[in-house]
Amino acid sequence: MRRYAGAAIAIIFFAFSIGIFMQLASYNDYEGSNYYYKNPVNGSLANESVPSHYIKETKNETGAINAVTAIVVEYRGFDTLGEVTVLFTSATGVSFLLYHVYKKLKKREANLILKEGSKLVLPFALLTGAYIFIHGHLTPGGGFPGGSVIASGFLLMMLAYPEFFVREKSLSYSESMAGSIFVIIGLLGLLFATSFLQNFIPIGKPGYLLSADIIPLIYIAIGFKVGSELSSIVQKLKEVEK
Amino acid sequence: MVVHPVLLIAIPLIAAFIIPLAKKYGFAIAAGAMAFNMGYAIGMFSYIYSHGKIYEMIAGFKPPVGIFLAVDALSAMLALLINLFAFINFIAIGKEWNYKFSMLYLLAIAGSTGIVLTGDIFNMFIFFEITAVASYALIAGKKDEKAIEGAIKYMVLGSIASIFILMGIALIYSQLKTLNIYDIAARISSMDEKIKWASFALLLTGIGVEAEIFPLNGWVPAAYQGASSGVASLLSFGPSKAAIYAIARIMMVIFPFHATYEIALYVGVVTLVIGELAAFMQEDVKRMLAYSSIGQMGLILIAFSLASQNIQNALIAAFFLIISHASAKSSLFLLSRSPSMGGAACKYTGIVGVLSIIGMPPLAGFWGKWYLMLAAINEKLWLVIMLVFFAGIVEAGYFARYLHKSMGNESKLNLRYKVAMVVMVSFTILLGLLPIAYKMASLPLWGW
Repeated sequence: MRRYAGAAIAIIFFAFSIGIFMQLASYNDYEGSNYYYKNPVNGSLANESVPSHYIKETKNETGAINAVTAIVVEYRGFDTLGEVTVLFTSATGVSFLLYHVYKKLKKREANLILKEGSKLVLPFALLTGAYIFIHGHLTPGGGFPGGSVIASGFLLMMLAYPEFFVREKSLSYSESMAGSIFVIIGLLGLLFATSFLQNFIPIGKPGYLLSADIIPLIYIAIGFKVGSELSSIVQKLKEVEK
Repeated sequence: MVVHPVLLIAIPLIAAFIIPLAKKYGFAIAAGAMAFNMGYAIGMFSYIYSHGKIYEMIAGFKPPVGIFLAVDALSAMLALLINLFAFINFIAIGKEWNYKFSMLYLLAIAGSTGIVLTGDIFNMFIFFEITAVASYALIAGKKDEKAIEGAIKYMVLGSIASIFILMGIALIYSQLKTLNIYDIAARISSMDEKIKWASFALLLTGIGVEAEIFPLNGWVPAAYQGASSGVASLLSFGPSKAAIYAIARIMMVIFPFHATYEIALYVGVVTLVIGELAAFMQEDVKRMLAYSSIGQMGLILIAFSLASQNIQNALIAAFFLIISHASAKSSLFLLSRSPSMGGAACKYTGIVGVLSIIGMPPLAGFWGKWYLMLAAINEKLWLVIMLVFFAGIVEAGYFARYLHKSMGNESKLNLRYKVAMVVMVSFTILLGLLPIAYKMASLPLWGW
């Protein structure tokens, strides 16, 4: 299954390099637009200091033009680390509890359309997933949906081919590496800047692929992590199927 | 020296992430991370004891916008307690399991530490989730029928509790547009009266499930009975203590009203009485200890609920009760692994633990109940005092039965267990002697 892992990595690098060369400059229109979020609930008692800070300062402070991503990864990045950990905990819990319960798989062939169709769809699923998490700071989406799309591609393959499996070791390696990279980026922030998960690299020009400081790095890590965790949960549950 | 409390959360997390890369060294990596945490928590506690509170920003944004950690003396003490006991307990039980157990254990510890350190209410919710999910898996780890029953009960109640906590946070955010606890506290008066109380009720109910307070603790006996004794020990010093502290923090910082303290007092008294009476009825040792834990959590909640009038006595009482319960109950759970408790180490642990929970001088449990009485007398709550005495007598009754039954044949515990439980239970003696030593040196007891 090294082929699939290799293909996934190659596709991700390809998408990334294409993005860099094209410089995706079409977002410049954003500069002139003024779609600021007005107070939606009239007469609410609320102070608007936090929401208005998010809306007005996000682009200057983080360089991301997708404010939701900036909130998820920068302003509340510690919560996101926690959320990733919750998913990691549940994946670990599943494999901890199903550790010794390997049973013989009952092979049932899928029909031709599912088999050929999933072969066709898999590369596109991987590409779409990679695109979603690499462009998290520019377009809607991010690490969680991107990772889920990648895992759904593998799920499709597991449905179509009963003997298909992703190597346990590669899944757990990519899971661990991605999680460690997230925490290490945080610790580098503590080392080079003043606080955990703080930005320590240049912000870049908002709207371009290489911008928004550490957001793309963290989202790539989250994408890998979510993808491999969901795939490993699905695979674990498939292995104990009677 | 600059102290970074965030390392107490980041180091266990990265260790848990790295362990699958080096499966053989799972135990060593986990023990190393916990040893680091223990040392760092000691350093942080002594720093806070001499310098006062620490606030740490995360991601470099000023608090109302970004997340921050707020560490005061009580939360530093709890972080120290959790990490210290986690290390001792893990050394005893870690080798019996595979590397996945080490990962889940680290995650549970990181989550509990996060709950007590964070100053952001949504961040607290995230750490509750981590702790709870890790606990479900740890409880089910024995994989027999009882373990699965306990884990499923906890999982159902815990998932509902998470939704309640999230709803409470959402109500607060919908009104005040902020998640920082001090920012909420400053603006709480501008909140709509009904929504304020609805959010308090949701938060108390949700966190109450984790904190084992009375009508919400249906999972406790099953989970403690089903879990292996090391995991039961972890549950009694880690997640439950963090959760009761979370209730206290929400009550004292965000909702410091007369009515909230009163609700907490009633809930605490009911929890105490019902927990102790239920423990008196139990035959099974672990179930008895679990119900006794429920009673003790009620006692801790009473101590926190008296903090409105005389904060000094009430917080000292809570401090000693938490220490006494954590050290005595964790070691009694380790002891409950074998049915009999012959042998010097086991007898010592059993007797000291039981006496500390009942509240005999000069153990930590005595000082807890003593300061609790002082605080209650100041408020003239005679009924509460009577009920606490009554609960103490009930405790003495069932613990005497427990000691009588189990003092007998040589126990089959191995050396690791014995060392761990003796070290744990010794803290209740050390902390019990501390006030006497302080009085002799005529120092103020506690620099709050």
